[in-house]
Amino acid sequence: MSYRIAVDTGGTFTDVVVADEHGNLVVGKSLTTPNNVFSGMSSALDNAAANLGVEADSILKETGVLTYGTTRSTNAIITSSAAKTALLVTKGFPDTLTYRHGGKREPLNLKMEFPDPYIPRRLTEEIAERINSEGGVESPLDVELASEIIQSLEPKRIEAIAVSFLWSIMNPSHELQVGQLIEKFLPNVPYTLSHQLNPIIREFPRTSSTAIDASLKPLMQKHFIELESSLRTAGYEGEFLVSTSSGGIKHVTDVVEKPIFTVKSGPAMAPLAGIAYAEAENLGNDIIIVDTGGTTFDVSLIRSGEIKYTRDTWLNGEWIGHNLGLSSVDIRSVGAGGGSIAWIDSGGLLRVGPDSAGADPGPACYGTGGNKPTVTDAAVVMGYIDPNHFLGGRMSLDTNAAAKVVEEISDKLDMSTEETAAGILEIAGEQMIKAIQEITVQDGVNPAESILVAGGGAAGLNIIPIAKSLGCSQVLLPKTAGALSACGGHYSNIVSEHSASRYSSTEDFDFDGVSKIFSDINAKLDAEQKSLQSRGVNSFDREYFVEARYLNQQWEMEFKLPMQAIENPRDVELLTEEFHNVHFRRYAVKEEGGTIECINWKGRLIAEMDKPPHAHAELNTSSKFDADRTVSAYFSDKGQCQTPVYVGADLPEKSEIVGPAIIEEPTTTVVVYPDSIAQVTAGGHYLLTPK
Amino acid sequence: MRKLGSNTNARVQEDANLDPVLLAIMANRMDAICREMTNTVLFSARSAVIGIARDFSCAIITAEDEVLSVAEAMPIHVFGMHLQTASMSKHHPAFREGDAFLDNDPYVGNSHSADHTILVPVFHKGEHFFTVGVKAHQADIGNSQPTTYFAAARDVYQEGALIFPCVQVQRDFKNNEDIIRMCQRRIRVPEQWYGDYLAAIGAARIGERRLKDFINKYGAKAVHKFIENWLNYSERRTTDAIQALPSGQFVAEAEHDPIDKYIPLGLRIKADINIDSDNGKITVDLTDNPDCVDAGLNLTQATATMSATQAVLCCLDSDIPHNSGSLRRIDVILRENCIVGIPRFPHSCSVATTNMTDTIINAILAGFTQLGDGYGFSQGNMCNGAGTGVCSGKDWRMGGAPYVNQMFMSAGGMPASAQNDGMHGMVNPVSVGLVYRDSIEVNEQRFPFLVDCVRALEDSCGAGRRRGGPASEVIFGPRQDEMLVINISNGLINVPQGVLGGMSAKPGFQICLASDGSRQVYSTDAYCHLMPGDRLHAVDNGGGGYGDPLDREPERVLSDVAERYVSREQALKVYGVIITGSGELDDLAVDIQSTESVRLSRKTATQT
Repeated sequence: MSYRIAVDTGGTFTDVVVADEHGNLVVGKSLTTPNNVFSGMSSALDNAAANLGVEADSILKETGVLTYGTTRSTNAIITSSAAKTALLVTKGFPDTLTYRHGGKREPLNLKMEFPDPYIPRRLTEEIAERINSEGGVESPLDVELASEIIQSLEPKRIEAIAVSFLWSIMNPSHELQVGQLIEKFLPNVPYTLSHQLNPIIREFPRTSSTAIDASLKPLMQKHFIELESSLRTAGYEGEFLVSTSSGGIKHVTDVVEKPIFTVKSGPAMAPLAGIAYAEAENLGNDIIIVDTGGTTFDVSLIRSGEIKYTRDTWLNGEWIGHNLGLSSVDIRSVGAGGGSIAWIDSGGLLRVGPDSAGADPGPACYGTGGNKPTVTDAAVVMGYIDPNHFLGGRMSLDTNAAAKVVEEISDKLDMSTEETAAGILEIAGEQMIKAIQEITVQDGVNPAESILVAGGGAAGLNIIPIAKSLGCSQVLLPKTAGALSACGGHYSNIVSEHSASRYSSTEDFDFDGVSKIFSDINAKLDAEQKSLQSRGVNSFDREYFVEARYLNQQWEMEFKLPMQAIENPRDVELLTEEFHNVHFRRYAVKEEGGTIECINWKGRLIAEMDKPPHAHAELNTSSKFDADRTVSAYFSDKGQCQTPVYVGADLPEKSEIVGPAIIEEPTTTVVVYPDSIAQVTAGGHYLLTPK
Repeated sequence: MRKLGSNTNARVQEDANLDPVLLAIMANRMDAICREMTNTVLFSARSAVIGIARDFSCAIITAEDEVLSVAEAMPIHVFGMHLQTASMSKHHPAFREGDAFLDNDPYVGNSHSADHTILVPVFHKGEHFFTVGVKAHQADIGNSQPTTYFAAARDVYQEGALIFPCVQVQRDFKNNEDIIRMCQRRIRVPEQWYGDYLAAIGAARIGERRLKDFINKYGAKAVHKFIENWLNYSERRTTDAIQALPSGQFVAEAEHDPIDKYIPLGLRIKADINIDSDNGKITVDLTDNPDCVDAGLNLTQATATMSATQAVLCCLDSDIPHNSGSLRRIDVILRENCIVGIPRFPHSCSVATTNMTDTIINAILAGFTQLGDGYGFSQGNMCNGAGTGVCSGKDWRMGGAPYVNQMFMSAGGMPASAQNDGMHGMVNPVSVGLVYRDSIEVNEQRFPFLVDCVRALEDSCGAGRRRGGPASEVIFGPRQDEMLVINISNGLINVPQGVLGGMSAKPGFQICLASDGSRQVYSTDAYCHLMPGDRLHAVDNGGGGYGDPLDREPERVLSDVAERYVSREQALKVYGVIITGSGELDDLAVDIQSTESVRLSRKTATQT
């Protein structure tokens, strides 16, 4: 038997998904052990091995590919625990990271503390130098002063350095010289140069990505080296691949050089599982992927088989947090999950979130000190979660505690406890609907024409009414919903991207300039392709993108080019046509005959990896199946209903269950609402049809 | 106990209100529609004033002319839209599906003539339910000067804007090309205006589609009930917030800098505020102020009302929905022919969204501190410096093509409250920090100027227990050809005030450092003609302080010193905090004992 392993190390749980050569996926879960990640990974693997009935050691020895996703870098950013990093900027512009893009939420809220920049101002140094917008030198680099400044960083015990100068994308000589000075004076301090990491126009996102990348280098390099060494010691001899924010994987040696690519890489894997599952079940390739966790609800989007990307990813809050600056999988998160707290405002309105009970103190029903009603408590009150069968019976819940906290607000609302609980779930669902609408309609996608793939332990509680409200006719809830991101690792390719800036207007297209950009990008992709070929990868594809705008428009729009190079006026016509179409789809207007300005160009190399085959699940072959038991569950339009509870493993292929019903899986619960239908697919997943 | 029905209409009973769950859900949908419209305008806009400064707003107004939902609109834009929809009904009583109207009439309900408002009525089965409003500040409106903030305009004729008093611009979803051609003949960089017009129309039509879906989904009855309940809910929230304040009557004042011959002595604005806590009502009386002036500084009915309302709402709970419901609890009393009231034709209101508006807002924010520590704010940056000016000229790199554009490079300090320091990025009180910033690289690619510096200035915040946000410094100039920068600044003489023992910020300034070494200092109404090599040096205001600086926690002062917002000298002189260690070794610390004794002796000295 040969295996492949995908790991997703979250803040609380480590998920391991083992695929055998028939494509069967088995999930193992364990608590994350931040001080020694391998230990948690190893227990999760033991858990999966037990489910498979094999020894963990033998799985590890017989595995050829292991993909690893981690929230370590994301957490380091969110908790400001990355390396002590200095930022070197062009003289006169020390506040690029402080000011950010500007803007804030809540127009009339003046009672907010201004959030700190990613690198403190005290560790930001101004270097005398200036390049202009055409790449000419306005003032030369003051080498003497720069040397002094770099040397002055040593007594401050700086652990990493980010260098981001204005217009380095047009002329990198000053950044390169400063890089050499760093190597000369502080040879052991890792550094990042902005034009090498992220050569795009706009100094804020470029500087932000440079600062984040540099700050992660000491931490992540140590992490990967230690983890790889533990894996090797444990007898693992296969490839060690790491998930990235662009929804692909990379060899660990490549990620060590640019650790920023591991930020938000976990959720970036979920859409890959979405495509794989939806295609295996022939459900089309317009897909919305949702992942419901304890505190957040993440949405990503696939349109015509293509993942939606964005250059506007924020950590710690849009506009006031830290901008990733790189093109990465577009993931919209809202603060609505199992732990979100329900409350009543002074106008008498029922609200849910954004405060969350999280894992500590947790929902009231956990009995771990939580005393506020959460979405999970509401689900317990409604009978959706069985207090004795939560997480496969590994944790028992306190129904009375859940009822008590929900009652506290139902009394104020003059509604019954069950009605209030239903209201809590409905309002949480409403925020999820809004997040789905934002990402879809903004891209001109009609959710009703897409399939929803639902992951996360709490997804099954209310995905049917959410789908109904969006007009989606079908929802696919994978058997492995509880570990959707880790599953995505099994369906990923090696993806590598390179960008470059070159202004060119369709009015007077700069064929020479743009073709030089394409050959620069291709040279980088060629080098990577060659190195991958030497590792035995043979199937490659390339895609090209442009960020463009109508003449004088303020924001660029990225779209995929319908060609591989721009060589003649016909290519420019095709580019123009595509721009008009995408603009119309997103913004409902287009300017016929309007001039288009192209700003940034991007090339993507996709190296196809072998994937697990789509398994025909080993399901109950008898045509008969029975409910495990019957419980009383509450549904808004029917009241209390006698509701059969099924155990997932008992259900044969193609069996249809008409709601009201509840299906229990080890890592998730599916609530089949009255008259809605759940059908078991050949892969052992659940296809839900809302009614 | 009410029984929940199986569909929405069954959940709506004749005399009953919507249940709190359905009300929340429908409000959420409304909010989502406004946001989608907002994103459409933002990402498809051409001019910086819309795409960067977010100087636009989307709103949903009811058929009864009440503002219902605004999402995160620029507050100053929103109220007054109900006056504009009333004007639509008056001038076009037979309006129908497919119509769109263009309104920028400052004498009826619009904010000022530069704000082009698109109004689209929304129908369901022949019944008019809503009107969608998209209001956006245009980069140019065909004024006699290349600016949309024309302070020197003696009257509307000298201002020179094309005025559209609710004019039909679409019928059956198609443009009235006559209007489009009029605009294109008169407005500078016409393709920029047309692109922004398309962005606004696109957003309004998206809003229309979504609202039709909304009515279809919930049914007419539920929607009517929702409108009534949602406005009542907003009113209830406002009442509650006002009832949490102490009752009181006080006068709030702030002063605008002199402007040449128009207001040679400056102008003191007074707001008489009455808080009736028992009845949950606040009245702001602006009638005791000077008459309209022969300049573009007069406010419109919409901006006078809204600046007072915005400031009051800031002092309440920021979570209250802002609509005609919350407005029922805040009365703003205006008089005709008053500079901060109802303008008399043909007085110009060209600058009605910034200078006097800012002055009213600062007056009221600080005025509320008369209720005691814990209420109100200090004052924020009121200097609309050159970093937010309108630049124009010709670009040699583009064969001499003309350009005109408002820049957003400066930041300015926000006011402090009893709990928090002022933030960066005020730009001015009316825009409450919503404004995005220009990328320096994008600016230099688009326009032929070079920027030397954009930074937050040390020791520029008004000190206090909570300090104001820092001022910003911007230095820039043209590269090869001459350039004109026009701005109307304020805050050069009168500065953002500190409150309750907090200190005031410093005055801003604006100087041209010519290549020959000479200097020219500009006054409030600045026309800066810059030659190649000249440098325009502009500094705006920090925010004022809140409370006694000697009460500021030493660790906050330490952080300010380390982060270079406050110098060590200032830490000792103003805050009485003694800092040890050095920046070079990154080991700054507070000498707690000496600090305590310095502070004690200073406090004793002031008490005796």
